[in-house]
Amino acid sequence: VRIEGEYVFDGPRDEVWGMVREPEVLATALPGTQRLDRVSENEYTGTMNVRVGPVAGAFSGRIVISDEVPPDSYTLSVEGKGGPGFVKGIGYVNLIDQGDGTTLMLYKGDVQMGGRLASVGQRLMDTVSRSMIREGLESLNEALRSRVAAKSGGQEQVGVGYMPPSEAEFAAAVAKDVAGQMFSPSRVLWIAIAVVVVVAIIAVVLISTGGG
Amino acid sequence: MATKYVGKRMTRTEDPRLLTGQALFVDDVQIPGMLYAAFLRSDYAHARLRSVDVSAARQRPGVVAVYTAEDLGDFWGHGPPLVPAPDSVEGVEFHSRTQVFLAKGKIRYVGEAIAVVYAESRYIAEDALEDIIVDYEPLDVAVDLEKALDPDAPLVHEDLDSNLACHLVQDKGDYAAARAQADLVLRRRIAIDRCAAAAMENRGLVAQWDEKSRHLTMWDTTQAPIPVRNGLAGILGLGEAQVRVIAPFVGGGFGPKIMMFLPEEVLVPWGAMRLNRPVKWIEDRRENFFATTQERGQIHDAEIAVSKDGKILGISHTFLHDTGAYNPYGLTIPLNTQSHSMGAYDVPNYHSDLKVVFTNKMITTPVRGAGRPQGIFLAERLLDLAAEELGIDRIDIRKRNFIPPDKFPYNHQIIDQAFAPLVFDSGNYVATLEKAAEMIGYEHFITEEQPRLRAEGRHVGIGIVTFVETTGVGPYEGSRVTVEATGKISVATGVGTQGQGHFTSFAQIVADQLGVSPRDVRMVTGDTSEFHWGTGTFASRGSVVAANAIHAAAVNVRGKILKLASKVLETPEEELELADGMVRVADIPRQAISLAELAALANPLRGAVEPGTEPGLESTDYYGPQYGATASGSHAMIMEVDPETMMVDIKKYVAVEDCGTMLNPLIVEGQVHGGVALGIGNSYYEQLIYDDSGQLLNASFADYLIPTASEVPRVEVGHEQTPSPLNELGTKGAGEAGTIPVPAVFAQALQDALVDYDLEILEAPMSPNKLFELMHSKKEGEV
Repeated sequence: VRIEGEYVFDGPRDEVWGMVREPEVLATALPGTQRLDRVSENEYTGTMNVRVGPVAGAFSGRIVISDEVPPDSYTLSVEGKGGPGFVKGIGYVNLIDQGDGTTLMLYKGDVQMGGRLASVGQRLMDTVSRSMIREGLESLNEALRSRVAAKSGGQEQVGVGYMPPSEAEFAAAVAKDVAGQMFSPSRVLWIAIAVVVVVAIIAVVLISTGGG
Repeated sequence: MATKYVGKRMTRTEDPRLLTGQALFVDDVQIPGMLYAAFLRSDYAHARLRSVDVSAARQRPGVVAVYTAEDLGDFWGHGPPLVPAPDSVEGVEFHSRTQVFLAKGKIRYVGEAIAVVYAESRYIAEDALEDIIVDYEPLDVAVDLEKALDPDAPLVHEDLDSNLACHLVQDKGDYAAARAQADLVLRRRIAIDRCAAAAMENRGLVAQWDEKSRHLTMWDTTQAPIPVRNGLAGILGLGEAQVRVIAPFVGGGFGPKIMMFLPEEVLVPWGAMRLNRPVKWIEDRRENFFATTQERGQIHDAEIAVSKDGKILGISHTFLHDTGAYNPYGLTIPLNTQSHSMGAYDVPNYHSDLKVVFTNKMITTPVRGAGRPQGIFLAERLLDLAAEELGIDRIDIRKRNFIPPDKFPYNHQIIDQAFAPLVFDSGNYVATLEKAAEMIGYEHFITEEQPRLRAEGRHVGIGIVTFVETTGVGPYEGSRVTVEATGKISVATGVGTQGQGHFTSFAQIVADQLGVSPRDVRMVTGDTSEFHWGTGTFASRGSVVAANAIHAAAVNVRGKILKLASKVLETPEEELELADGMVRVADIPRQAISLAELAALANPLRGAVEPGTEPGLESTDYYGPQYGATASGSHAMIMEVDPETMMVDIKKYVAVEDCGTMLNPLIVEGQVHGGVALGIGNSYYEQLIYDDSGQLLNASFADYLIPTASEVPRVEVGHEQTPSPLNELGTKGAGEAGTIPVPAVFAQALQDALVDYDLEILEAPMSPNKLFELMHSKKEGEV
């Protein structure tokens, strides 16, 4: 699956850069994340428990950041595996200061999948990945806004006022998006497939939101 | 002898049991204390196995055992080759690599089994699979059939120099010389992709080991219970008499259930013995896409050389056959393709260069059609293109090239799938083609209907093709026919039954010989404790090989009945007749004795018998043909295509079959209907799609499209009967015939419907997407 897109963050580039390198923030933007640890300067490992409808699975994975040019760009490679299969991908992220206090993120990536993710989820992969990435980026942007607001308000505590979405809210938002884009959302089978794919994409999001 | 039942359209005697849920399927077998097996399958197409950690899985409550390849110890090994290697064939290069019981060191396709769990329930077993941690080192893959032969392609089997599994060239006459003299030579690339067999019932196994009697019983959805028993006995170190394999009712075979010794078929009984508990494994649908064999991946570089009057001077093709990661089934499929690429035609010069290629994909073995649809597709497509080029009507060009009825037996001078000379025993191809043309209304359609509809702007096309099918191959089958003390008849044969109506059509044969109703004939198929010589149900051979063995045994029993009755009734045998379960003096009907009484007399409790007397009214006999019987037929269809949506609508479908003597036309028609349905899938819907990394992308019925009632038209079946001279009954096989010509006739009709677009359909299956792309690329090409 190829992933490509852009997103505008409501905050300065330095803030965005700082945020996407903070595991705690990433973890809250990705509901279901059990753990996301920075094991070295450029390497994170984590596990993610996903329980959506009838599909349950745990992913464990590793993210490595390379070719880093702060606060401009970096490359990240991701490997994750679990009951539903595996993902392996590479992503390229660019942050562009738009000069008006906002930051444009350009991202693209290529993800290889195997197991149930590929064999059953293929059909919806594009739609679901787009939706999941947007949901993830939006919750990051939400965190960014509250961080920026906190700083300008002179408050010391970071993240006040930002409530990350719960696992259920996140999954529901994605499912709604996907259903809206499908031909016949009434077909139960498809919904079941969508649910499986949600699992996949949460892993995929590790890439792009790891970058965003 | 005039027949009362053979040839009669009888409804199936097994249907009441099937329709009321009284038929035993493997999953119906429940044994107290039974364990459930589940298999961990690879997510990668090609990877080194660094480690497999099953410790957590073993800890899970309810898990009894978990084994990896290492845990199998000395038992670990390869499945046996399922058909002989072509060693006797001159100039052949062949490398046999059969599947392993569990992957060791390396994974070769997505779905290859890595570990097996035995647990108190299937739920627990599947949960335990998730506990297993596999450390893979992914390797580059050999997925694309053509690239897999590149010198730097990743090797599926590293002990070989390349992914070439076999190279075999067959020649008849001198193609190069024929080509030089031809008025027209057409060369095309023809590709046929993979499909699933997709039987309604997936595979299933139940194994029970009795430690005290040291006896193994296994219920297996196999098409070939006797070879499974023999093979398992060898693998498990048991005598053949210690193993009983039962193939009960099976919900569709279509090839991949023949006798595979895939990991499940070995590890379920092995687990039952090792753990001394019954073990059940029922394949689920998704698993079936990964764990059960597939067929059809071939790419042909094909050529036809014709004279200007449309006479075929020669056919030549160089082709690649995708055997997947292992090749336990040897060359059966591609040899069938080689045998059918001349179609029903008198082709004087033929060149066929076959390369079989290992790839990081599921193993291929025969699926209904077994290489024949590819050959017929090639021959029919090339002939269609030649006809068009030369301005000859497609029926006409076929008639000019058919093997004429007086040329049988026709020796093709190449070898068939059994490495024996390819000989067509009989046929009347003109008659089947003419009947199909008449039934579809060919003349009327092309002269009136089609021009009228086209003038209305509708895209309607017609297709009509002829095919041959080698059927009823050896080596042999056997049967035992017994008159029971009740006067009813018991018949046992070794072949299994997967919906072919054996209980009815075989009973019809016996009923005619013994003067009883087919409903008084109890058939037993596929239980090695009832009959343990034979090979199985495949290659459209049941109605030829098993049926003639049953016929032979029934004739013997008839002889015994007459001999005994003659003595009892004091009347010469010639004056006796068998009817209504009685033997009567023909002229004096009240002078009669029942079969029940005769059976009792033939098995006396006291007194002396003449030396050499065999007890009972029973006989066991066998039939093995010299070579296969050749079935044939012609299919025709009228199709309308919507060039906006690329959806096709088959308006009319006609199938004329010649399977020699028909035992039961109703069953033949049922076989044809089912075959055509798969053929339509193979033409436009059913394609297994692998991505560049060897992942199967459509492993569910949401994505892998089985034709439904809306895609399969009502099929009108016509019959010609050219009895096979090779067997007493004159039968030929009919099980695969329905499928074989469909992609060819579909492509012809599709091309005809879109005549304005000037397309060539050289691929099967097509699909709405592919058709769109083809039309699009054509348009772009024109600009």
